Amino acid sequence: MLDLLSWWYGSGWKGILSATRRRLDGLAEAFSIDTLLRTLFAPWKRVITYPGAGLDGKLRAFGDNFISRCVGFVIRLFVLLAAAVSFVGLCLAGLLEIVVWPLVPLLGIALLVWGLI
Amino acid sequence: MLDLNSPRAHKARLGAKIGTAGYATLLGAAMLCIATGAGLVISSIRLGYSLGGIGILLLMPAVWWRQDLRSVPPANNSLMGRLSTACLVLLKPGTDYSPSTLWDAIHTDGQTLFITNHLFIQADQLQGCFSEDTAALQSIFEAATQLADSSDSRTVEVGHLAAVLLQTSPVVAEILKHMKLVPKDLDAVIGWFQRTLEAMHTKPQTYGGIGRDWASGFTPLLNQYGHNISAAIERHGAHFGALMDSPGVHDTKAAFSQGATAIALIGPDGIGKTSHAYALAQNVLAEAQDPVLQHKQVVGLDASAIVSAATQPGRLEYILNSLLMEAAHAGNIILFFDDAHLFFHGGPGSFDATQILLPAVQSHALQLMFAVTPHDYEGLRATNPAFAGQLTPVVLREPPESEVLEIVADSAGYLEARRKVLVTYEAVKAAYTLSGRYEMDMAYPGKAIRLLEQSLTHGTGKVITEQSVQAAIEQTRGVKAGTAKPLEADELLHLEDKIHQRMINQSRAVAVVSDALRRARAGVANPKRPIGSFLFLGPTGVGKTELAKAVAATYFGSEANMIRLDMSEYQQESDVARILSDGQHETKSLIMSVRTSPFSVVLLDEIEKAHPNILNLLLQMLDEGQLTDTSGRSVSFKDAVVIATSNAGADSIRSHIERGEQLEQFESQLEDELINSGQFKPELINRFDEVVLFRPLAPDELAQVVRLMLAEVNKTLSAQNISVELTDVAIAKIVEAGNDPRLGARPMRRTLQRAVENTVAGKILRHEANPGDHITLDAPDLSL
Repeated sequence: MLDLLSWWYGSGWKGILSATRRRLDGLAEAFSIDTLLRTLFAPWKRVITYPGAGLDGKLRAFGDNFISRCVGFVIRLFVLLAAAVSFVGLCLAGLLEIVVWPLVPLLGIALLVWGLI
Repeated sequence: MLDLNSPRAHKARLGAKIGTAGYATLLGAAMLCIATGAGLVISSIRLGYSLGGIGILLLMPAVWWRQDLRSVPPANNSLMGRLSTACLVLLKPGTDYSPSTLWDAIHTDGQTLFITNHLFIQADQLQGCFSEDTAALQSIFEAATQLADSSDSRTVEVGHLAAVLLQTSPVVAEILKHMKLVPKDLDAVIGWFQRTLEAMHTKPQTYGGIGRDWASGFTPLLNQYGHNISAAIERHGAHFGALMDSPGVHDTKAAFSQGATAIALIGPDGIGKTSHAYALAQNVLAEAQDPVLQHKQVVGLDASAIVSAATQPGRLEYILNSLLMEAAHAGNIILFFDDAHLFFHGGPGSFDATQILLPAVQSHALQLMFAVTPHDYEGLRATNPAFAGQLTPVVLREPPESEVLEIVADSAGYLEARRKVLVTYEAVKAAYTLSGRYEMDMAYPGKAIRLLEQSLTHGTGKVITEQSVQAAIEQTRGVKAGTAKPLEADELLHLEDKIHQRMINQSRAVAVVSDALRRARAGVANPKRPIGSFLFLGPTGVGKTELAKAVAATYFGSEANMIRLDMSEYQQESDVARILSDGQHETKSLIMSVRTSPFSVVLLDEIEKAHPNILNLLLQMLDEGQLTDTSGRSVSFKDAVVIATSNAGADSIRSHIERGEQLEQFESQLEDELINSGQFKPELINRFDEVVLFRPLAPDELAQVVRLMLAEVNKTLSAQNISVELTDVAIAKIVEAGNDPRLGARPMRRTLQRAVENTVAGKILRHEANPGDHITLDAPDLSL
């Protein structure tokens, strides 16, 4: 029991920090946030129109590519927002875990006693 | 030194006590308590809180076991801080360990069994093979720690301890010696264990997320006709070990980084061109910082899928063009053309796409990789120099022996997992050795891996041993690779008797040839040369060809296993090509015959009449045990007996014998005469294992030849249940009539035919000989 409690309030508690950090790293990797930021204004899935001959062709290509870039920007922005929300969520969950973790044994004992009283 | 009462040791033992079953029980009970408690609280039953509290308190040890006890992490760099959980569980406190008791403690562990099973040793039979000296333990643990360090293992595993115990025991060394294993083999198995351990401990990697994929274009057609190697590695994981940093992968990356857009991966079949593409894909995923290669995906194209989809004219060109455009537009694709020759030549299942590929290569719009053999690459350079000139060649070379053995052992590991078998290290070594000897058309490591796969069906009780590999090569190549079984060994020991059943006299020649065959079968002969090479010298009709046939029949199983070339038909310089033909123009060339039947007698009749260039080829064949055909492919003569015959020196032999000399007395003198007279070059004579002289047959020996021939006639007549016998006088008469000092026993068959067969034929037709009759012919009966 003593070993369990010393782990719980020692390396077990510390482990939450590293676990939270691992989760955040995994999140950044899954969303590839650096790539999303670097390619924020790139055309969506490289859907581009090559400029045709004459001003008309050039204007049409510019217009098409502008739309593709806008689509790319909007989708990436939403994904970045989703990533940010997830990031905040994970941080909060980690924080909550750090706060709740030391209370778990006390909570167990408290509930046990409370039920019996 | 060993503090087995340390907190880590306690934890490890507690973790082992709880085990997976205990964890599941704790977790289940906790969940049940919490759920039931919650239900009771909702039903306003106060005891529910207590039940919930118990659930939480049960959950705590479950979490502890999962995060800390299951695998006790290393604490520090001391031995006790690094001993693995399994070690801490197996070693009991209060025991004064010696190497012997340490082995007793660890010999049933999976890691120990990995090593002993692959050495094909029973781990429990080694109990008692280790020292009882407790002081020796210090050095054992130090060596195990060093072994763990050498493989960058943070923990000292049970396998490390077992490895060091096996390495340091003289008794084990003796046992291994009896199993034809050397200390290097034990080290190799330990290396195999360490690589396996590393592969098992490697966590799955991630190489980028949705942002990376959205930066590239759509590839619907490539998804249909291609195979995304990089995606497969990401999904399923891959471990290419040393190959990821091999010179081939390094050169390919360097070439792409320096601006090359099309690379020819050149290497013979089996060298691992496809594996190199996979290793490159993994290397790029894991390490590429270079902007040219970062986030690139290697996609293999399936030639057969493209060809089969092209049902209408022009469709094939359209598909390939679209694929190239799609890959270029996607921006992150390296197209890999495996078996690229299928894209270079028109034919069944292939097509000539060079005219489509050339503009793509010249545009520098995408990166391409073509896997070709050296032969295909040379062919491409000859037929399409413009396209070949655009390719940057990266030549893949066979790895050294130690590396090949590692690759084959690792492949054996995959085979073991897939087929639920055990592949011993001696089988790995045998696959290396035997494929090197018999698989001339492929390169390492592919040929050794293929042979190992073929050996799976020859395993005994799911165990693949050296014998399994030998059986596989014997079945596929028709050679004798294993050690001689008792019956065969007995036949070999009495080979002379067997040959003499069909050969009269020439005892010295028979003995010399028999000795060579015994040496080869016992594994004493030089394995890099033919089994035996002989120059038979002597007059016509004394049994030179008959001895060659006898060798084919007795050693190789049948007279049909004889490849016979009359060298008088190879007197022109141009005839060299007929010997070396790859089979396209001359299907019966020497090379093709030996490729088809490597386990044969190669009889070169009248060798002195061949063109000097052909004799030079013969020198190479005798020296290196192989020849190379016109396509550059080697053919092994290492399982053949090469016999060259010549009548040169026949007169000299006859005169020496007539003077009453024995063959041994004038052998050297005759060789000198042949060299001095210019009939044979000294280098040719010296290349043969033996120069064997055949003496002319005396009348009494010719009488024995007649008896042998009569036995053959009786064999034919046995179908009609008739037999013939000759009196001694009749035999003497046949010998007298058929004896020609210049032609030896050769005219004897004709004489016998005339004398006996004609007589018997007449009797049968006149109904004077009927089934069941035994005919005795005397001299006057013979129609000579």
